[in-house]
Amino acid sequence: MHSLAVIVTTPPSSNLTATALHFIESALAQGINVVGVFFYQTGVLNANDYVAIASDEFQVIEKWRLLHAKYQLPLHLCYTAAQKNGLSEEKETNNIACYFTVSGLGELVELTSAADRVVQL
Amino acid sequence: MTQSTDINTKKQKLVAIVNSTAPFSSTNGRDALDLALIFGSYEQATSLFFQGDGVWQLTDKQDATLINSKDYLKTFAALEFYDIENIYACQHALTERGLIDSPFIINNVCVLTQQAFSDKLHLHHAIFRF
Repeated sequence: MHSLAVIVTTPPSSNLTATALHFIESALAQGINVVGVFFYQTGVLNANDYVAIASDEFQVIEKWRLLHAKYQLPLHLCYTAAQKNGLSEEKETNNIACYFTVSGLGELVELTSAADRVVQL
Repeated sequence: MTQSTDINTKKQKLVAIVNSTAPFSSTNGRDALDLALIFGSYEQATSLFFQGDGVWQLTDKQDATLINSKDYLKTFAALEFYDIENIYACQHALTERGLIDSPFIINNVCVLTQQAFSDKLHLHHAIFRF
């Protein structure tokens, strides 16, 4: 079975993030083993619990949650990038959605090594 | 480093990190360098590529502090300590920007024609672009 790692570098407001999501959904639907998704740069904002998207727009944040729930897909967050973008995992100020895994760039090295293919969006 | 033992037993991927944007108007250059140094610290074979506006990152004697930016370009000097020695710049991009005779901030940059640059990039198994 082919394996795939995906890097998301764009925020929830970007159409490129919707593309990344559709790409991952298609891969999973075809039985490709997606070993993990890594959120880098402003891609980390996809993990921000406080992001509110107008109800008549594409609910990309909710889609990440559903994707994780359906496939137990690991969603890794670069914590350095997360901190630079106002995310926190401190108890009192935690605003990182619980289905994300707080990781570091080392995780991206591991994913790159583990997957047959790496796709950055 | 203990983390690297697992991945080093596998067949190594050649990793390319491509810089295609100017240094200070976005965080792309810094984020690319951070990634390169992490791959280097995990002893992964990593090359750096500079094309398009990315070649501006190689220009010597830039003072980022004048525009309130962190001078991450100084950190390029650390690349050799992470065994990142393959650094390529696109000759066409340098010529287009009048930089072909300008000194680089690091001295082991290999300038390649567009074709050679493309051929070299294709030898890599994973490509990250910033």
